[in-house]
Amino acid sequence: MTSHSEAIDAIDAIDLSNLRAVRRLYAHVDPVPPGLTERMKFAITVQALHAEVAELMDSALLVTRQSDARTEPTPTDSVTFTAATVSLMVTATSDEDDDRLTIDGWVTVPGALIEVVTTEETRSEVADANGRFVLDDVPHGPVHFVILTDPEDPAVRPVITPTIQV
Amino acid sequence: MTPTPTASDGLGTLAGKAFGAYRSGDRERLSELVDLVTPVLWNAARSQGANPTTCEDAVQTAFLQLVGRADSIKEPAAVLGWLVVVVKREVWRIGRGSRREIGVEQVPEAPTPHLDPEAQSILSERQRVLWQHISSLSPRCQELIRVIAFADRPDYAAIASSLGMPVGSIGPTRGRCLQKLRVTLGADTEWAV
Repeated sequence: MTSHSEAIDAIDAIDLSNLRAVRRLYAHVDPVPPGLTERMKFAITVQALHAEVAELMDSALLVTRQSDARTEPTPTDSVTFTAATVSLMVTATSDEDDDRLTIDGWVTVPGALIEVVTTEETRSEVADANGRFVLDDVPHGPVHFVILTDPEDPAVRPVITPTIQV
Repeated sequence: MTPTPTASDGLGTLAGKAFGAYRSGDRERLSELVDLVTPVLWNAARSQGANPTTCEDAVQTAFLQLVGRADSIKEPAAVLGWLVVVVKREVWRIGRGSRREIGVEQVPEAPTPHLDPEAQSILSERQRVLWQHISSLSPRCQELIRVIAFADRPDYAAIASSLGMPVGSIGPTRGRCLQKLRVTLGADTEWAV
């Protein structure tokens, strides 16, 4: 139910059409920067986990220049991340149809729990006695890892890696 | 004309639901919240006239404060408005190099935004006409219209209030700013075609 006076001033189809045009205009001249939402999610995760951020190290197979991984995911095949308590090396291999990836990992702490966070989901794998783990059926795109060196002890800070592009 | 959407259609309601689920332990819903509200927050920040780096920092600070204070936020359903307030305040705080927090009512009026020649050149003729008309509005109206354009009708009133506008500035009624835009566009034969 609307009163007569409200009806006169109610927002109508013309206003909504004007606002859609305004939205398109600003989205065109001043768009949300590419990757902004991913950077926000990464910052939130680091804070929410009280995590230590691992450093993306140089690698023989690193194909691109050393870039600021926070702002620009680095397209690569194999990378190493290093933090105070743990290092992680991951290699991504395309599956036969090239749609999905298998990630082979090695972590310096056997028994560590490795979470892989993709655009689709968060999955986890426990490293074996040699620190090795395998994650298959991983989608292409941005990915980061969270390492729990002692999954049983909540007092141990998780380690989070910068986002890379696989 | 479609019927007035119910409140559940609004961006603010969806954001409130995602944030409520996050607080209840569904941690991954925060990612949905970020996707939903970032365009509104970006435009709220940019409409203050600050550079992109400052705006990005302000948006990030707002999200981090939200996570840090998640359990003390009294109205999770009003999370969109809460974030808009923090973003606007942060843009001004960062811009002035100040360490203390300031209230939204202390934030000065945004400067009139301008479009550099490069940005002008990528506009269609119709967008150029629209830009001229938007520029003729007061800075406060430009700010309000820009930000609500990235939200849904049920959110307009809450966003206006978060931006420090008087009650009744907009929603459910058209309000002064939207009325001015409608009149100025309606009077332009180039726009009407």
